[in-house]
Amino acid sequence: MAVTLLIPAPLRRFTNEQASVQVEAGTVAEALAALDAEYPGIRERICEPDGRLRRFVSVFVNGRDVRSLQGLETPLRDGDEVGIIPAMAGGQ
Amino acid sequence: MIRLPRTCYEAIIEHARREAPFECCGLLAGKRDRVERVYPITNRADQAADLFAERGLMPRAGADPATLPAERYFMDPEELFRALREVEAQALDHLANYHSHPATPARPSRTDIEFAAYWPHVYHLICSLADPDQPDLRAFRIVDGRVTEIPIVVEDE
Repeated sequence: MAVTLLIPAPLRRFTNEQASVQVEAGTVAEALAALDAEYPGIRERICEPDGRLRRFVSVFVNGRDVRSLQGLETPLRDGDEVGIIPAMAGGQ
Repeated sequence: MIRLPRTCYEAIIEHARREAPFECCGLLAGKRDRVERVYPITNRADQAADLFAERGLMPRAGADPATLPAERYFMDPEELFRALREVEAQALDHLANYHSHPATPARPSRTDIEFAAYWPHVYHLICSLADPDQPDLRAFRIVDGRVTEIPIVVEDE
């Protein structure tokens, strides 16, 4: 499946400042692996060493948080958009 | 310097007052150094206790997650994603994040500084309501843990 990964500004230094990257993948995990094959080092900003999604990162398939879908095993269809965003958080 | 139209300045303060005693949060978008739009985002800190606990940033041990939004903010991820897409669709730039400190000064906390590490290229605005009659809105650049205050110029349109 040809899918588009939307790269957030804080991670674009890994992708030569490109805001989107096309890859072939059948699941979100495969899409992140394909992204890392092209731009080594980016996946460890998104996933823990054991492969789990980092708690402060959210990944979306067509705007839906994969935590409310099937996580990194969420299947992808041709043309899907996979978004990635680090948390915005803080407080007094 | 960050230039803020008065309507945007008032929208941020209004948002902070509406959410108090909880913290409000959102994005500011515009071009170069001038804000054009305010995107309020829902504070979901009540669902992010694990995120804060993992970094030792809970306000106190055993804090009730339901009251966390009074002392922490965590922008709703799906809303945040939609807002950032909207910013791009409008051909604007994401210039800043904002949040409120309902009872403390407008200075970045340790929690603010730690999470700002993921967003070094945007300004961080904090609206203090410590004196409810005198809201204090300040802007900061936070890079590698170093905090620099940036002047805010409120512009009458």
